[in-house]
Amino acid sequence: MIRLENVTKIYGTETVAVRDASFDIPKSQFVFLVGPSGSGKSTLLRLINRQEQPERGDVWVAGQNINELPASRVPHLRRSMGNVFQDYKLLLNKTVFENVAFALEVIGKPRHVIARQVPIVLDLVGLADKQDRFPNQLSGGEQQRVSIARAFVNRPLIMLADEPTGNLDPTTSEGIMGLLDEINQTGTTVIMATHDHRVVNAMRRRVIQLDRGVIVRDQERGVYE
Amino acid sequence: MFSRIAYAFRETWESFRRNLTLTAAAVLTSAVSLLLVGATFLIQRAFENLLVQWRGDVEMIVFVRSDASAEQVTLIDSVLRASPTIIDVEKLRYLNKTESYEEAKRIFAGDPVTLGLLTPETIPTQFKVVPLSDDPTLVRSLSDQYRTLPGVEAVALAEDEFEVISTLSNFIRVVTLITSLVLLLVAVGLIWNTIRTAMFARRREIEVMKLVGATNWFIRIPFMLEGLLQGLIGGVVSCGGLWVLNSAWTSGVTSFKPGTGISSLVVPDSYLTSVMFILLGIGAFVGAVGSAIAATRFLDV
Ligand SMILES: Nc1ncnc2c1ncn2[C@@H]1O[C@H](COP(=O)(O)OP(=O)(O)OP(=O)(O)O)[C@@H](O)[C@H]1O
Ligand SMILES: [Mg+2]
Repeated sequence: MIRLENVTKIYGTETVAVRDASFDIPKSQFVFLVGPSGSGKSTLLRLINRQEQPERGDVWVAGQNINELPASRVPHLRRSMGNVFQDYKLLLNKTVFENVAFALEVIGKPRHVIARQVPIVLDLVGLADKQDRFPNQLSGGEQQRVSIARAFVNRPLIMLADEPTGNLDPTTSEGIMGLLDEINQTGTTVIMATHDHRVVNAMRRRVIQLDRGVIVRDQERGVYE
Repeated sequence: MFSRIAYAFRETWESFRRNLTLTAAAVLTSAVSLLLVGATFLIQRAFENLLVQWRGDVEMIVFVRSDASAEQVTLIDSVLRASPTIIDVEKLRYLNKTESYEEAKRIFAGDPVTLGLLTPETIPTQFKVVPLSDDPTLVRSLSDQYRTLPGVEAVALAEDEFEVISTLSNFIRVVTLITSLVLLLVAVGLIWNTIRTAMFARRREIEVMKLVGATNWFIRIPFMLEGLLQGLIGGVVSCGGLWVLNSAWTSGVTSFKPGTGISSLVVPDSYLTSVMFILLGIGAFVGAVGSAIAATRFLDV
């Protein structure tokens, strides 16, 4: 589903954020990207959804070399991916329902599709009863659930999560991981960058460890270390 | 498709309300610059009207006093014919009282007051003279010579009128055109700035839109619509201003001292209407350009 071939990403002229990285992630896999701060986890995720382009190497997504994709095709690539962030990136002036609906609205989905799909995902993330609240009327965990709902509402093939539990307490984190696991069970490939030993060790999934941009470990059913 | 259009309009309207001050500045500037463009058009047209009075290739008119005797007219005629190398004898034409009056009726059609002062009896008759020479000094000395002939009331040189009018009109055209171009650029800049500000205020939304796979056009269109609307509203305001200006001008000119030919400075309504459409077009264009630049630059980074 996702393959990196000798990918190097350099910011400016000096900062090598990712150095000669290669891996292959099959469909439906759950992968943790771990490593200290500044080791290049976020950069790897941004290479996969083409927010960044590598200086060297190729990134393949669903059989396509996405660096050869013309700019006009990038939106379609992104529609096959959901993104979740540590800071949720919710729109504060929109309700829970509207935040999720927004993701469908701006890719031109018709009203009846939105009206059908949004309640289904809100139900999935357990927020059906809070759909008319605004983000600042929700707890952090609930806000993250909204952002997961928004990422998942278009049924993406791939879910990219950048420290989704970074701001949450252990119990809430567990809930979020349960949700991501559930999404993974539906066949969605999940790649999650994290600092969180606890969740990595509890899940026992594939772990790709980075150190200063270099992949130093790639292990099935790994732990954080 | 419908939901996309609804989305674009809703977003445009929201953004408009949010940035009211900036929007007002942008709209006002486009209105003022467009008004100036419109005024340029009208002034040009007025001067053209004035020039058309001197149509044909007549370049000199020798006006003969209405009480001149037949001998005097004959004398003038023979003097004119005496220099066939300087004036085109073939084209020399004498308009008697009736003919002169007919022509006056045409020229002063828009100036009934002046026309009322003229009668076929009191009107000066005239020789229409076409000089062969292109040399302005020769023509001028000729006219000085004719002016001293008995019975001659005045000698009008088209060249004089043309020169004054066209110098004036060129000057005004250049000044107003440059000023309005500068103002139009300022308007583009202000619209660019409001759109940039609007986009900056909504960078979070734009970020999310890009991440979920909205196309650049989808993101751009509400902002471009907003800019276009600003330009268009500026255009509408300028049309109103132009109408007021033209009405004041028309009534001012109509009450002007008769007999000076100034009445031809009145611009027909149909022309005013087409100028207004042009202004709306330019307004929309200016708005679209300003916002397109802003939206494209913003989405690139
Ligand atoms: N837009 C950017 N411009 C320049 N340098 C950048 C940019 N983004 C990241 N970097 C640098 O690239 C390196 C990798 O950054 P990245 O954000 O990928 O690390 P990370 O592993 O996600 O860190 P964290 O765990 O703190 O989120 C760092 O040295 C960082 O300073
Ligand atoms: Mg990071």
